[in-house]
Amino acid sequence: MTAIVGFDTSTADTVVAATRDCDVAFESRREPIVAGGRPVHVNALLTDIEAAADSLGGWRCVDRIAVGLGPGSFTGLRVGIATARGLAQALRCDLAGVGTLAALAAGVQARSGDPAKLRLAVLDARRGEVFAGLYATNGRELWPPFVSSPEELGGRVAALPEPPPAAGDGSIRFRDILEAAGALVPPDSDPVHRVCASRICALAADEGHGETLVAPVYLRRPDAELWREQQARQQKVADEQA
Amino acid sequence: MILAIETSCDDTCAAVVDGMQILANVISSQARIHEQYGGVVPEVASRHHIELVNPVVDAALLQAGVSLQEVDALAVTQGPGMIGALLVGLATAKALAAATRKPLVAVDHLHGHVAANFLEPDPLDPPFLCLIASGGHTLLAAVREHSRFEVLGETLDDAAGEALDKGARLLGLGYPGGPAIERLAKDGDEGTFEMPVAMARDPGLDFSFSGLKTALLYAVRDLEPSELERRRADLAAGYQDAVVGQLVAKLDRALGRGDWKAVALGGGVAANGLLRMRVAELCERRGLRLKLVPRELCTDNAAMIAAAAQHVEPVPYPGYLEWDVAA
Ligand SMILES: [Zn+2]
Repeated sequence: MTAIVGFDTSTADTVVAATRDCDVAFESRREPIVAGGRPVHVNALLTDIEAAADSLGGWRCVDRIAVGLGPGSFTGLRVGIATARGLAQALRCDLAGVGTLAALAAGVQARSGDPAKLRLAVLDARRGEVFAGLYATNGRELWPPFVSSPEELGGRVAALPEPPPAAGDGSIRFRDILEAAGALVPPDSDPVHRVCASRICALAADEGHGETLVAPVYLRRPDAELWREQQARQQKVADEQA
Repeated sequence: MILAIETSCDDTCAAVVDGMQILANVISSQARIHEQYGGVVPEVASRHHIELVNPVVDAALLQAGVSLQEVDALAVTQGPGMIGALLVGLATAKALAAATRKPLVAVDHLHGHVAANFLEPDPLDPPFLCLIASGGHTLLAAVREHSRFEVLGETLDDAAGEALDKGARLLGLGYPGGPAIERLAKDGDEGTFEMPVAMARDPGLDFSFSGLKTALLYAVRDLEPSELERRRADLAAGYQDAVVGQLVAKLDRALGRGDWKAVALGGGVAANGLLRMRVAELCERRGLRLKLVPRELCTDNAAMIAAAAQHVEPVPYPGYLEWDVAA
């Protein structure tokens, strides 16, 4: 029997769950107080995590802590991962990291009567870009998470042997492009578009998915680093011309 | 016994302090990394904090020879500072405290700089006047009690350390600018360049360094490249003298307005040799005790956060679960 407390803070929602084997003992979702406003991760996450641990009988009954690694908001990711690491450090508890896109794709998988063999997870990466990943029905990662323009993603989707169902706020935002490429995007209100903490727990229970290296998946480097490299390149060109 | 965490700027810090005795004070500096950017980049700092914070906490506990279970409370810097950097420390401290059901203390970073003086050996107890100058803050604090301080004056624009960093950049020196300017200034004559003294003569207790920076910019611009190379040391000396001169002038003025018996220095700029010398002279002239904490307690560290936390009411579990940073 494996009891897991899992959570994710890479999107605007603060989601927490507790599972014992296949049973969901606790599940919560908190949205920003103002739609589109600051997420409540730092305020709500630990309270909900404690409630999740209580639902399993307290921390002494928890075998593993699972956390969404992203990609997503850098600050959000760090709140979740710092919390997970702090808890695991204090409790000397097993810690597993789960890809947030894999968890989204697993949500698609759970829908019954869907014969497709592929699952596409797409998050809005801001700046007109998307974070995306492609998974097989057995959860195998076919396209490791990447960041791209929606058009580039559309091009890759159009070249797939079969049209994949897609989930995530990025698939809603760029529905036109993805549908034109053949992706099947459920209605905006479908819960499949939102990261679910019980899926984080489910993937962490599966040994093949839990990462022992629990570090944020940023996919983007800091702007300052890119800017510095660009300056260095320009300097090199200038030096060569001189 | 308190385990404290500090991540408000570019140093990842953890310390274990028993009473006012430091058992461990671990600082993982990112200065080398930020050197390449000529300043602290918030996103880069936050990425390093999350990599380092747990190992730094482990190292502090190991060095102190205590387990997490043995500490009475945890403490963490809540602000001011860079929000993303603060969040890593706060989320970590909240999780460590919650998992062990221990109380947590939220500490004001500036109270930490003041409280560095309370630490053994040779602690300084209130009342005293404290000048805190670093890359992030510049203020004069009247410290009459352990648990609080009153800001008598603060910078209206750049912090003193920031002014030194910007000056260093204008002179083609590296980051952090303070030590670079101090090294170069040793070969220079501070009297050969006129730097504005308006702020030093201003009757208030607030600081302003932007005028100095502009004056240096013009001086650098007006010199031929070969002449600039020859006069760089003089410029560095003149600029450092003006920054330190303003700090000391305001400290002197504040001392004149109260019945103070002791002075303390804090913040990274407190490591500056010229500032230490001038303040020592000032204290000697006024017959005051001068407390200079070691360098590792001047710059950001978690021992000072633990020292401040000893004088703040700890919040028992679960009262702190919803805490946010106060950037
Ligand atoms: Zn500081």
